[in-house]
Amino acid sequence: MPRRRSWGRRLGVLFILLWSLVPLYWALNTSLQTDAQIGSKPAHYVPPSPSLHNYRALLGGSGEIPATIRQSTVNIFIECTAATIITVVLATLAAYAFARMTFRGRNVLFYAVLATMAFPAYTTLIPLYRIMSVFGLVNTYAGIVLVYVSGFLPLATWILHSYMTTLPLAIEEAGQVDGAGRMQILSRIVLPLAWPGVVSTAIITFLFAWAQFLFPLVLSSDNSTQPLTVAIAALQGRHTVPFGLLSSAGVFAIAVPAVIVVFLNRYIVNGLLSGSVK
Amino acid sequence: MTSLRRTRTVLLAGVLALASVLAAGCSSGGSSASNKTTGVTITVALPTAPPPQASLDAFTKSTGITVKWTNIDWDSLQTKIAAAATAKTYFADATDVDWSRVGQLSKLNWFYPMENYLDTKSLATQMPQISSFSPNGHVIGIPYDASFLVTTVNKTLFAKAGITTMPTTLDQYTADLRQLKSKGVVQYPLNIPFAAAEGLSTYWYQTTAAFGGTILDGSGKPQFTSPDSPGYKAAQWMVDAIKQGLVPPGNINVPDTQAQQTLMAKGTVASTFADYSGNVGSLYNVPASSSVVNQVTYLPTPGVSGAGPNMSNPDGIGIPRQAKYPAAAAKFIEWFTSAQNQADFAGANGPDKVMPGYFLPSQLAGVTQLNDKGKLIGGDELSDLLKNSAKPIFQQGAPSWYPQFSKAVYTNLHAAATNSMTVAAAIKAIASTANELSS
Repeated sequence: MPRRRSWGRRLGVLFILLWSLVPLYWALNTSLQTDAQIGSKPAHYVPPSPSLHNYRALLGGSGEIPATIRQSTVNIFIECTAATIITVVLATLAAYAFARMTFRGRNVLFYAVLATMAFPAYTTLIPLYRIMSVFGLVNTYAGIVLVYVSGFLPLATWILHSYMTTLPLAIEEAGQVDGAGRMQILSRIVLPLAWPGVVSTAIITFLFAWAQFLFPLVLSSDNSTQPLTVAIAALQGRHTVPFGLLSSAGVFAIAVPAVIVVFLNRYIVNGLLSGSVK
Repeated sequence: MTSLRRTRTVLLAGVLALASVLAAGCSSGGSSASNKTTGVTITVALPTAPPPQASLDAFTKSTGITVKWTNIDWDSLQTKIAAAATAKTYFADATDVDWSRVGQLSKLNWFYPMENYLDTKSLATQMPQISSFSPNGHVIGIPYDASFLVTTVNKTLFAKAGITTMPTTLDQYTADLRQLKSKGVVQYPLNIPFAAAEGLSTYWYQTTAAFGGTILDGSGKPQFTSPDSPGYKAAQWMVDAIKQGLVPPGNINVPDTQAQQTLMAKGTVASTFADYSGNVGSLYNVPASSSVVNQVTYLPTPGVSGAGPNMSNPDGIGIPRQAKYPAAAAKFIEWFTSAQNQADFAGANGPDKVMPGYFLPSQLAGVTQLNDKGKLIGGDELSDLLKNSAKPIFQQGAPSWYPQFSKAVYTNLHAAATNSMTVAAAIKAIASTANELSS
């Protein structure tokens, strides 16, 4: 019976792996073929003569496409990094306040913050666009970063709150007895202990920000602020689909998140599970 | 206590200030249009690469208007247009007006009437497709690239099957397709993109026109409910084609552009009944992406008893209500859609002036110039089709509820092709949607 269950589990894992990885492999496979090879019948399951010409067309030279992709790569790094730093700093302060400080309406406020996660993000698109327009923040890094921060802050606060509530209170009380103030306790005692949680939150926020499409599409007007995800969509032609170019762009765009997930996945799992066991 | 009161006062003042800023912003509508036409920079957002920089520079030199071009894919651009209009926020001075969204855009009053800026009546004599952008008597977009549905055939494959005279009627066309299959020239001779997507809807509209009918009447009521109606026959013909093995079974999940690239351009199929005008030159005759170079030709639409019409699906450009410089944008549109520039963009006067991805001038004079210089593949046929048989899909312009209607069309026709429902049931469901939306 256990052996049968083990085989069932293996098959299940294999199915999930294939389900997840085959599309990625197919994008990589397509990106390494010429247009003629991509359209040949039967399809090539392995590139017959692997070529990087799609990647050269995407990234090399001084043409319009490489220039756009390079600028949008810079944009996505700036926007994701800024959003991550601001979100983590604010979430740390908020999480600590909700976890350790006593004030009237604390629970109501905390659950109100969490409740915002239940709203579909798209319902806020038009109001946020309007607000950004009024404040002259459309097509600026600041506008996009602010929207990311407002969107990811509740989740980040929740993760860090869950993490901080698992930390032993006695150490903080000892610090208080020694005369440390709130900010000192946070920076010198809580943060070092909560560091894995902070890293988890940063990684999750960065990955979420990297995957954004609709908000930066609406909030950016040109290549000066458009992130990679938006720039890639513009590669699609009006009447034709450049399969090779789009596949290479897709592979290029997932490279950074893939590296993060492969090398830092324990932090991601840790962050998502924080607070689930006390 | 005093400190707490002060904090509350500051908080309240902050909230009120924020609310007043937002209220002011919302009530202003965000529009501060200027009629300046010199010394300004306008943003043009279209789903295509820009004209050559030298052309744009020449425009700037002659008008004093600098153009900032934004290339956004079609779907994303529609989202941006809707978001900006809903939020009453500026995002471009000139942008895309697609034929299928004319009804919506007009009803919502999101674009300026072009007759306020250009002599649209004179333009109409040179631009047959301008009627697709004129709902309720107002022109809300100027077609910049003529696009219409046209039948393409691989004449080499037809010849291999012993067909030397091209079909002129639907019966002949269908018989020829069967001959191609029975002689083993190709296993599946006909390309119909049956994926549940817009391309399937437009294919049905074109086939319905070939059968001699229209989809909706002037008030939006369905014209295809009777089994004798052209629309019903067109749906039956399309579904029969896949069931009888004339269409590749895999086409159930293939959208139009993909089918043209992977089937027609590879010689896997021999004909596309509703293809894009311009595909012969820009796709089938391009060696890097095609194995049928110089084999495919345009064909006057095989109809019931002779050549049928070609349905227009042109791309237009208009001025959104939140434009900062509508008059300057109008000057750009006039320049962008002039016959001379269109001929240049399409390659009449050398590669330096070509606009990448540009199909076919919307001005007849542009097509003529292109054709006279021998730069238009299938030029005589295309020129004749544009002048004489290209017709709007909806005479009064696409209805404001077109997206819902199109969705009903492609989901039900897709279901009929997959045997999930009968053609009768599909037609009934589509008609029901049209009746509901138009009432």
